[in-house]
Amino acid sequence: MHPHHIDENVLLDFHQGHLSQGQTLVMACHLQMCADCHALIHLFDTIGASYLEHGESLSLSEEALDLALARIERPEPVETIAVLPAFLQGFKLPPRLSQARIKPRYWAAPGVWMAPIDTDGVGKTYLMNVKRGMNMPLHDHRDTEMTLVLKGKIADYGGEFKPGDLCIRQAGDHHSPSIGEDEDCLCLISSSAAIIPKTLLGKCLQPFARI
Amino acid sequence: MMFNPLAHTGPLNQMPDLTSSMSETMSVDDMSSEALILSVANLRSRDAYKLLFMRYAPKLKSFLMSKSLSAAEAEDMAQDTLLAVWRKAHYFDPQKASASTWIYTIARNLRIDRARKEGRAKILTEDDFYPSTLQVTADEQMILNQSANELSDHIQSLQPDQKDVLRKFFYEDLSHSQIAQCLNLPLGTVKSRLRLAMIRLRSLVGV
Repeated sequence: MHPHHIDENVLLDFHQGHLSQGQTLVMACHLQMCADCHALIHLFDTIGASYLEHGESLSLSEEALDLALARIERPEPVETIAVLPAFLQGFKLPPRLSQARIKPRYWAAPGVWMAPIDTDGVGKTYLMNVKRGMNMPLHDHRDTEMTLVLKGKIADYGGEFKPGDLCIRQAGDHHSPSIGEDEDCLCLISSSAAIIPKTLLGKCLQPFARI
Repeated sequence: MMFNPLAHTGPLNQMPDLTSSMSETMSVDDMSSEALILSVANLRSRDAYKLLFMRYAPKLKSFLMSKSLSAAEAEDMAQDTLLAVWRKAHYFDPQKASASTWIYTIARNLRIDRARKEGRAKILTEDDFYPSTLQVTADEQMILNQSANELSDHIQSLQPDQKDVLRKFFYEDLSHSQIAQCLNLPLGTVKSRLRLAMIRLRSLVGV
């Protein structure tokens, strides 16, 4: 079991597409770094597949098969290979990140650079790189914030977060994370409310079971 | 001897020639969906694709219509899902997913992208099916070994109220709060039923 357990409801919301685009990106990257969560998503997919397999069949329109057979003969669209910006070359990153629209980085403070990521406009999603040994100032959270550690370590009141660990902070939480002494720390962060109104994200995102 | 493409455990590109084996032993109609996807991957078999389409497109249409899509939208998405099966078949690994789980995963990704009206659909890469960055854990292997059929039996064994919530979440695509409204239950009850259903399913699967 992963030391930083994630509430199953967050994974369920991800699976059903109820998270915002930024949160979906963070979760998709986490899944490429965490075998436990990936296994759970696979279980959800198998549950979905069992409903698909045993559900009804509906007749298709007359031309459906002809259309399908015609479409496979059409040339496939060329898939461009996503290239990460130069400042991210050399990092070992989850492949999903290369599909994100990462903007140029800027220095937010001495020892801290940030690179915003284009999403659907709800909340903010960005990469943040912090120099080793720094302490972040104590701060509050006004809404839910997801932080995925990509490189280095963060110590927080939940313990130590290593690459692949996901930290979810709720509105009202306040904390002062510190960056490990050994190396700089790169994180993917999304702070936002859910965009699809039917979700209950704010309520569903529970603190970690062990914090 | 019956030819069973699934018995083969080596890399896909070392698959034996399916055409010769197939013609001698079994018709394409008898092949499992897994074997059909492998035929599509290795031989670009139109016959295998046709059969997969006829097996899954009507199910997908019904499944997607349960998620508040119109008949035309659901059929379009069933078409798109099967087209992705044709194009991505080389990523299919029967060791890591049954055919129906794999096809479901594609449909889920397409549906979520479309619901967001994203300018461009995310390109499905091999890592979306099974990330090269991960090692399969023992627990995960237990889940990977589950076919949708076996899991369906497990779902049937759940308590009726848990089964009901699970179906509404996964089949009807309702959120926690919508289920609470629909069943006139407190949100916490819906969440705990869903959680209990998952705990039960995980223990039945062995993780």
